[in-house]
Amino acid sequence: MSDHDHGLQAIDPRIIGAANEGCAESRLLMSRRAMLGVSAALFSSAFLPNFASGATNPDARFLVVVLRGGMDGIGMVVPTTDPDYVAARQELAIAPELTLTLNTDFGLHPALAGVHSMYQAGDAAFVPAVGLPLRNRSHFECQDNLENGLPGNTVNQTGWLNRLLGSLPAGDPIRMARGLEIGEAPLILSGPEPVLGWSPTWFNKGTPENIARLEAVYTQMDSQLWNSLSNGLAADALALAEGAGQDNVSVLRKGFIGAARLLRAATGPRIAVLSVGGWDTHSDQADSDPLVGQMADRMTDLDQAIGDLKTELGAAWENTVAICVTEFGRTVETNGSRGTDHGIATASILVGGAVQPGQIGDWPTLAPAALLEDALYPATDFRAVFKSILNQHMGVPSDVLESIVFPGSAGIVLPAKLISGPKRAERLVSSFKRPLTPQEVAPIARYRKQYGIDS
Amino acid sequence: MSLTKDQIRRAHVALNRFGLGAKPGAISKIGKNAKGAVIAEMSKRSIARIAQGSLPSYHEACQKVDTEFDIENDLKEQELTARIKKHMSVNIGFVERLVLFFSNHFSMSVNKGGSIRATIGQLERDVIRKHVLGKFEDMLIGVMKHPAMITYLDNTESIGANSVRGIQWGAGHNQNLAREALELHTLGVSGGYTELDVDNFAKVLTGWSYVRGWESEEGYNGGNSSNRGKFIFRADWHEPGSQRLLGKTFSQTGIKQGVAVLKHLAAHRSTAQFLAFKLVRHFITDKPTPALVKPVAKAFRTSGGNLKTVAKALLDLDKAWTMPLRKLRTPYELQVAEFRAVKRTYPEDDRWNFVATLDALRHRPWERPAPDGYSDESVYWMGPDAMRIRLETAQMNARELERLELDDDSAPVLANKLFSKALSKVSKAAIAAPADFDDGLTMIFMVPEFQRR
Repeated sequence: MSDHDHGLQAIDPRIIGAANEGCAESRLLMSRRAMLGVSAALFSSAFLPNFASGATNPDARFLVVVLRGGMDGIGMVVPTTDPDYVAARQELAIAPELTLTLNTDFGLHPALAGVHSMYQAGDAAFVPAVGLPLRNRSHFECQDNLENGLPGNTVNQTGWLNRLLGSLPAGDPIRMARGLEIGEAPLILSGPEPVLGWSPTWFNKGTPENIARLEAVYTQMDSQLWNSLSNGLAADALALAEGAGQDNVSVLRKGFIGAARLLRAATGPRIAVLSVGGWDTHSDQADSDPLVGQMADRMTDLDQAIGDLKTELGAAWENTVAICVTEFGRTVETNGSRGTDHGIATASILVGGAVQPGQIGDWPTLAPAALLEDALYPATDFRAVFKSILNQHMGVPSDVLESIVFPGSAGIVLPAKLISGPKRAERLVSSFKRPLTPQEVAPIARYRKQYGIDS
Repeated sequence: MSLTKDQIRRAHVALNRFGLGAKPGAISKIGKNAKGAVIAEMSKRSIARIAQGSLPSYHEACQKVDTEFDIENDLKEQELTARIKKHMSVNIGFVERLVLFFSNHFSMSVNKGGSIRATIGQLERDVIRKHVLGKFEDMLIGVMKHPAMITYLDNTESIGANSVRGIQWGAGHNQNLAREALELHTLGVSGGYTELDVDNFAKVLTGWSYVRGWESEEGYNGGNSSNRGKFIFRADWHEPGSQRLLGKTFSQTGIKQGVAVLKHLAAHRSTAQFLAFKLVRHFITDKPTPALVKPVAKAFRTSGGNLKTVAKALLDLDKAWTMPLRKLRTPYELQVAEFRAVKRTYPEDDRWNFVATLDALRHRPWERPAPDGYSDESVYWMGPDAMRIRLETAQMNARELERLELDDDSAPVLANKLFSKALSKVSKAAIAAPADFDDGLTMIFMVPEFQRR
């Protein structure tokens, strides 16, 4: 079958409705549809988005960097004047004079020198205590909660960025350009809306002859494989057309470089997600020198990658917001293995030319009475930060945010202005604002719920 | 022996849904009774085992723990070589697939620490393979009492706050191993446990540790020269007293308490259901239904978690032999299937292409960064980027493997030996079209009959 234009049509709300009622077939259809749609033609001039008629700001770029494992927020944005910090952190405490000053109360981890320069230049912001509605400290459930954007311990197989894309009108430039995933497929972009994926390789490309033969086989026998392959070929061509490979940098940095090249392209994606593991620092988080150890290694790599992002985005940097997020922070106290265990609130940093610099949200303090058990209290809700970015930066209307993208988040708002320059114009999106029924996302939990099986 | 079209189709199902992919001539070797052939292979003596030969014993592998990266990594590479050699030796490979399934069920990453890197292959040989047709309980206890898992899920320094050392050092317990053992290895999410159960189980597991290199060298904490790297139960680190877990009180003392909890978990109804669900999802369909899961779960319960009985229950599902092959081979399975199709692997000392393929497709053996294991759902592996890389690496493998002096004279001849009549006309034509053998081989690797299982 031919699916060349599925991706350009609005998805029938009946499919979403049926899927959310647990209909197995329609879920199958949805997961199949995720693979359909975008043809290589998307990148040809015939499919150039008509930016003039778009509903959202077509220049805005938004990159979400998911740090997997539970990044230690207190280790990244150090509360230098909090009186309980040193006592709680003991051997992992970073001396205030070693941190990179953010304001009177906070300093950045010393490995983040590049981000600090951006901060000084007015291109970065930080949230010192941010968290999820779900606070159960499970990597998997909290990652799901971060990415499905739902209140509390309710889960759904669709990610909030995918729902955002699906909620935009059919001709919207951001929707037409797709979301982009770099590396592993994250939940945040999963769902009915087709997405692009790209990661760098050095193999010889598929030969035109072999591609043509496979097109003949797949289109006749297995359209799912063809849609997937053709989308992959299109994204790769776009990334490679933009510049030469850089072989001597880390995988993370390559991912940032590729993301930037695709994001800066005139017809490229406007929304991208990149994930990086290795933040689950239960032991040997840092040496006595904060620039030595697991945390410092990850931070150094991240700092360089963010530098690459700025370089490669070029002029598009001015229209970019990138945010680093993670499923939870870590326990305030060290655990005796020079590490920290699963906690609750964490810190988040935002970079990009469109970022309004400064501190976002309050600091709940590390005073024992202010903690949630042994963890930092989330003074700011991640959804409030995301909503502000989507609204102020991308022009997504609040009612769409609160009904489709983050259902149940009414009243959860960020008072501060998060974007430098004037707020984007927004337009009411009238198509299918159905609140989504939460679904279990762990496959075994979904199975048990779907079939009413007691465990 | 001439086979009917349906017999050929069932043999193709045996080789792909349940096996590691065809070697030339495999279909005729399987013959008329595909299910019988799978069971016969599974019943062969020592089918799951790898002869030790020059591979290290538990003691020998542990002696290398916390030495040098190169020493530890060399062990890992030897183990991987032995594993692939075993994959190549069997005709169907259902037991190999079960080994890979359970190895992934207890997923670990060697990048977490040298004690994992040095021993993970030994663990797979001496624990997973040993029990893959035996009792799940024995496999579970074997894994939990292994230095690799102790390291991977941070139990090494988990000390009961009220233990002798806990009081002396002001130390505490670490929940990671207990949590993931409940969530990922036994009951599964929504399997009926609470946060308190997690915490109490973590206390039960205090003192379950391994002898780190420095403890062995300096004679600390019970370490000595002969127990380097090995699992150790440190009684003076163990939280004293009984613990309540899943509505049951465990009043055993010492290590017996943890063993009792693990036995209870292995026999739990939720564990049977979770494993049955995962097996059905891995082998048959991304969307398991009770009609498929229940018979397998029942086999698990009534047999006391006998994994050979469970595997047979999977084979006894009629639908397993009739449902279309819609799952996508994982990258590792695909690479092994490519090797088997040409009866060649990359030489042990030149495995660069193999590693690069799995690296690009994010499926390196024993390197899943999260403890949930590599995905069993096809959609995870079918991303646009991954399909593009499948083509690039299929081309590379076809070209590189061809250099290893293949004896087949043409791609269509090889395809016939691999698929017989289980190959569509469309795929057949694509395989026959290219003038060069390596392009024909690329087509063999990329047609749906090869990619899907």
